[in-house]
Amino acid sequence: MLRQFLIILTIVIIFIAVYFPTRHARHYNYIALQNIANELDLRKPIEIDYNLKNCTYHGVVLNNEDINIDSVYVTKTFNKTFIGGEYKPSRCLPLIKTALIVPYRSRPNHLNIFLNYMHSFLQRQNIHYRIFIVDQNDTSPFNRAKMLNFGATEAMKHKYNCLILHDVDLIPINTGNIYGCTKVPRHMSSSLDTFRYNLPYLTLFGGAAAISSEHFKKVHGMSNKFYGWGGEDDDFYRRLVQNDLEPCRFPPEISRYIMLPHEKQKASENRFKLLEESEQNQKTDGISSLSQNYIVKLEDLYTHIIVS
Amino acid sequence: MSYETSALCCCEYYDRNQERSHILTCCCDCEDLDEAFESLITGNQVSQKHKKGILLTMQNRFRIPWKGGAKQIAFDAILPIVIIPIMLLLASISLWWTFFSFTTVAIFLLFISNFLIRAVHHTKFFFVWTLTSVIVLYLIFEFIVIPFLEILLEENIALSMFIFGFVICLYLMKTRIKSISSIRESEAENGTSGQYYLQCTQCSICQLKIPDRDHHCVWFDCCIGKHNQCLFVLAIFFAIIALLYSSNLTLTSVCHPFTLYKTILLPDDCSEVYKLFELGLSFVAAVYSLIIAALLLVLLFHQILLISLGITLRDWTRLPLTKKLCLGLTMKRPNSRGICQNWKIVMCWTKNNHSISNQM
Repeated sequence: MLRQFLIILTIVIIFIAVYFPTRHARHYNYIALQNIANELDLRKPIEIDYNLKNCTYHGVVLNNEDINIDSVYVTKTFNKTFIGGEYKPSRCLPLIKTALIVPYRSRPNHLNIFLNYMHSFLQRQNIHYRIFIVDQNDTSPFNRAKMLNFGATEAMKHKYNCLILHDVDLIPINTGNIYGCTKVPRHMSSSLDTFRYNLPYLTLFGGAAAISSEHFKKVHGMSNKFYGWGGEDDDFYRRLVQNDLEPCRFPPEISRYIMLPHEKQKASENRFKLLEESEQNQKTDGISSLSQNYIVKLEDLYTHIIVS
Repeated sequence: MSYETSALCCCEYYDRNQERSHILTCCCDCEDLDEAFESLITGNQVSQKHKKGILLTMQNRFRIPWKGGAKQIAFDAILPIVIIPIMLLLASISLWWTFFSFTTVAIFLLFISNFLIRAVHHTKFFFVWTLTSVIVLYLIFEFIVIPFLEILLEENIALSMFIFGFVICLYLMKTRIKSISSIRESEAENGTSGQYYLQCTQCSICQLKIPDRDHHCVWFDCCIGKHNQCLFVLAIFFAIIALLYSSNLTLTSVCHPFTLYKTILLPDDCSEVYKLFELGLSFVAAVYSLIIAALLLVLLFHQILLISLGITLRDWTRLPLTKKLCLGLTMKRPNSRGICQNWKIVMCWTKNNHSISNQM
């Protein structure tokens, strides 16, 4: 009797251990396609041109199209941008003002593909945007979060109220994936091809994310202490949750991304230790503790921020 | 005398000639080995008898210490448990190692299979190979591929269902022999045994009389006859589905995937899998699954052909090549009752309708 009980108990334990949900990729909650336009954080620009009607974003989301992946690498035509990679739609008054902040170091091929693609992609969405490339120009390990902090500080000086923290190797392939902020922060790259278009875990906030500048200031930006690959996005997620800003997501059919091919980086070994430590010094570690030694250069297609 | 009757210590055992022996003496005193060596040195050919003798002695002496006397381990049954993990581990080093280790194992299998079937009559080598493959592939999937966090819970459950289907079919296939023997007993009681025994063939490997025997499958260690042929086909079918599905899940996780017709996810660039051990091992396991699936697919089509024609594997192997090329359609098939009936007999076999179908 006892033996049978023990056998059944072991089978049940093994069963639960094998099929435990957190061992698998997850389905996630998202804002329904029809409600997205209402959830967007739309604001009238300061300098209003009364001759223009407001832009609408409902159609952009609902007329979603999948872009053919082969066409990502093809040179595209797009309207000429202002110097520094800024663009404003001329037919209507944009209610979204986005700074696309891209941490970067020595991947010229990716940068060329990214800029060429993103300008043509973003110009279809009726938004006012500018691309900031934040270049880490030193020999220490890459610090993605710090670069994003620099980019965000510079973007906020130019009164961009929506910040999109974006990796240079991520390419959105749904035209309905609107590059604007929602009322709460949003994780954008929830359906990535290298993850089999699944979400690995629910608290993932890396890749591409949109957050309003007020919220970014409220959580003191990202931690500057994460050198190497991994950890900084999980830390940022914790900061958001502790400030009652539970991130949202869009449906998978408009959140698909492809990752430009490159070698997988090894995760930094001390990222879990850093994660524990950084909880205590959230208020001191962030955009307020940044040095100011960076140079801003205006290129044709982007604003180049060189951090040394 | 008192020494002879005392209980065995943990390292002792009774050997082939019912003599008491100790594990530590395993390398001494082997007549066959001595004689084989002698004939090798003198330039004569080692006789089949000596070869077999060496093997049997080796098998007899290969033991682990156990309470109440050392336990014998069948040497040939241990082999797959060692070979398969080593093969996969070596293959995960680089592309050349993958080629090398898979071809070596394939050639080794070709050579050893003939030898084993002849020399060790009831060898469990092939059955253990099947079991080890299933277990190793499943463990790699559950504990290396799943932790990549790219596979959904329902995909994992679906795969488990297919594997479960395969295991159930395999189990039923092996236990249906009992139904056969119960039929034989009941028919013997009723005095109808004469008609029944006419159809029976003795299987030299399982030492059983099997009615409508098709062949003995060494990989499942089981005789295939009309009574379990449908389970055999089903087991192969489940195995193919499980292998293809698991290799697709694994390859799309470790390689760069693309979508075909916006629905099916397939791998397209696997160039970086050997850079990390976990990726390499998963990739190699998926390749191994694909190879087995391809072989099983051929077997499945062959079985479907044979069932449709209403002939056994034995009949097929006797056919000349020209008739094989015509898919056996031109041969005389005395047991065939037309394609539909042939399938009906195989698929609807139960204890009760068995004798009826024989009388038709």
